[in-house]
Amino acid sequence: MPDQAFEGTADTAGGARTAPPAVRVQGLWKRFGEQIAVAGIDLELPAGKFIGLVGPNGAGKTTTLSMVTGLLRPDQGTVEVAGHDVWQDPVAVKSRIGVLPEGLRLFERLSGRELLGYSGRLRGLPGAEVDKRASQLLDVLDLAGSQHKLVVDYSTGMRKKIGLAAALLHNPEVLFLDEPFEGVDPVSAQTIRGVLERYTASGATVVFSSHVMELVESLCDWVAVMAAGRIRAQGTLAEVRGDAPSLQNAFLELVGAGGRSTGDSLDWLGGGTR
Amino acid sequence: MTSTSRSVPAASPSASALTPVFVRLKLSLLRNGLRQSGGRRAAYITSAVLVLLFAALQLIGLIALRGNAHAGTVAVLVVALMAIGWTVMPLFFPSGDETLDPTRLVMLPLRPRPLVGALLVASLVGIGPLFTLCLVLGAAITSAHGTGAALVAVVAVPLALLVCLALARAVAAANTRLLTSRKGRDLAVLSGLVIAVGMQFVNFGAQRLGDSGGLSALDPVARVVRWLPPASAIGAVDSAGEGAYGRAIAQLLLSIGALGLLLYAWQRSLVKLMTTPDGSTLAASDASRKESTGKGLTALLPEGRTGTVMLRTLRYAWRDPKTKAAWVTSLAVGLIVPVFNALQGNGTVYFACFATGMLGVQMYNQFGQDTSAFWMVLQTISSTRDAYLELRARALALLLVTLPYTLLVAAVTAGMLGDWAKLPEVIGLALSLLGAMLATGSVASATLAYSIPQDSRKNVAPGQGGIAALSIFGGMLSGAVLCAPMIALAIWLHVSGSHASLWLLLPLGAVYGALLCWAGLKVAAPRTAARLPEILSAVSSG
Repeated sequence: MPDQAFEGTADTAGGARTAPPAVRVQGLWKRFGEQIAVAGIDLELPAGKFIGLVGPNGAGKTTTLSMVTGLLRPDQGTVEVAGHDVWQDPVAVKSRIGVLPEGLRLFERLSGRELLGYSGRLRGLPGAEVDKRASQLLDVLDLAGSQHKLVVDYSTGMRKKIGLAAALLHNPEVLFLDEPFEGVDPVSAQTIRGVLERYTASGATVVFSSHVMELVESLCDWVAVMAAGRIRAQGTLAEVRGDAPSLQNAFLELVGAGGRSTGDSLDWLGGGTR
Repeated sequence: MTSTSRSVPAASPSASALTPVFVRLKLSLLRNGLRQSGGRRAAYITSAVLVLLFAALQLIGLIALRGNAHAGTVAVLVVALMAIGWTVMPLFFPSGDETLDPTRLVMLPLRPRPLVGALLVASLVGIGPLFTLCLVLGAAITSAHGTGAALVAVVAVPLALLVCLALARAVAAANTRLLTSRKGRDLAVLSGLVIAVGMQFVNFGAQRLGDSGGLSALDPVARVVRWLPPASAIGAVDSAGEGAYGRAIAQLLLSIGALGLLLYAWQRSLVKLMTTPDGSTLAASDASRKESTGKGLTALLPEGRTGTVMLRTLRYAWRDPKTKAAWVTSLAVGLIVPVFNALQGNGTVYFACFATGMLGVQMYNQFGQDTSAFWMVLQTISSTRDAYLELRARALALLLVTLPYTLLVAAVTAGMLGDWAKLPEVIGLALSLLGAMLATGSVASATLAYSIPQDSRKNVAPGQGGIAALSIFGGMLSGAVLCAPMIALAIWLHVSGSHASLWLLLPLGAVYGALLCWAGLKVAAPRTAARLPEILSAVSSG
């Protein structure tokens, strides 16, 4: 499987935009013991786009997003967000990004409203402003009814929504979401989608990881495909999809999993033989 | 489970067919649990040997007690204690026995009556029932005098054992809803605390009992308890030995009736559990709670990061079962040690420092207490200044409780001992100790963070025991070293006879403690800011 790379897409796809890319990653490596999670990736994600980072389980998506957002120290390589180095200039970066990680807890013994209040005030926003924004976010995300319930009693969809609210509260330039739709019911997913689309329409950038291709295809205008710790392709949706009928097919082709079928091994399975 | 699925074509299986299946299920669960790891096997075998050894000793002790005037009293009370244990155990160890959870059997076509019989027989398998059998047997032997009593004992021993087991099962089934909900799991985490504090009281009670003339003090209690099932079964043995056969039969009937009632109650809750949806999404009762307390407290706390972090820390001390357990243990033990020592007449006011030390330990592993939610803190710390404010706010939240509590414990101890003269120096020493604990605690939090697993009783994640031990013991040791100048000064003032200047220790201790705390925070802040991702990965494995 050859590595496909689409150089210089930031300029062609971004049109008139001359601002620095939302994220620039160079030579990023991460190794856990024997296993190489991220094997020297280079990425340039244009600002103002809805960007999907796709790949099978274990491709290194979460590790990459963790290193980009400052949650995990890379072994090697540099990461810049909106032109600022994540590890050299944390003050500039941390105020500009919002994060919704996967597999990490929230402060679950706070109620939804308390969590937003805590998060906003820690970011240095004035209390009154935090409360105003929190009320609006709770309303829009359909959490107002459970705002006084502890987050520990929330369902998966509600947790993702309150996490999203906490990530949006300080109006970041770039939003990083790790599997924001995983385990989320269709109604909550639609709500999250609506909020994200409104947010990107205003010029902000969303980077989210997923392994649901249909979702990425319908939401994103820019895609990076990851497999086994490497970037297999990056570019606009049309560029990555190429001649394939759908992103799903293009993806399977890229990660080398196309054309695998069950064959005759399950020939006993099916109705009518009982 | 394969044997059930094979034998369930249309009709549901009878009790006789079901019982061996459940006994085998119980045995396989036990065996597979042991197969998982060598350490687990070793731990299980060790605890089994210890429990059986203990049971054998009890059995021998009870048999040796035979003929003693109070043997009947002891026998009845031992069985009653066992019954209490069986009642409480399923509430605290809900996951201890998977066959205790009837909701796992919901999808199988089983009728309640055969199910209850089979489950009861299956629950006879295990160390717990064996231990109970030893005790009940011992209790019966010690109080059985004569053939009549021996005959009654043949019925009474299995009866008492079955009542104990039925008690556990009925309680577990009645509370399955609670036990599988979040509140129930919170309760289970707090159980260790109940046991720890309870032990202190039992210990104290036993000492008092020893002082006040021994077992005869218990005779009036036993006179009531011997009518309560399952102790009434053992009471029946004693009654038969005395020739009071009418009383013996009444006591036996009481236990038999209790067994019937328990089985009936158990069956009813089983039917209810298996025909209604499960309770894992049980709504929290505090859903409509208003933020009244929060608002009041927020107004008093400073603006910005300091107040925000303090409020969160205090809320967690109240709401998070792990943190709450740690706090309550510290508060309780910190008070019990000086007060009980004072009560027994061998205390000194200096023991009040114990409370300060116990609470100071809460400063250790601050970020581990956050669990992986620490990422939310990490995202907002971008400079040494932020890290300093974060740590200082956590120390302040601790001080808000510890400072008044230290004064209270010192005053209570001094009042009980009537030794008010020592109060200023004790408070001075306590404050310098507190400063040292906060200082070393914040440095340890930054450099030696470790995970606190949330869903188990353990307080350290596997593989991090070394870090935890180093953090706490190293911290306490260096805390003691940091306090040494104050202790030396106190000793010197005493030895040199300058008792009039001892009050100086109070202001000196306060200033010294504050300085230590400030220095500790200053040392810890840059280390925290520089090690944020490392701390996050250290605290995320629980």
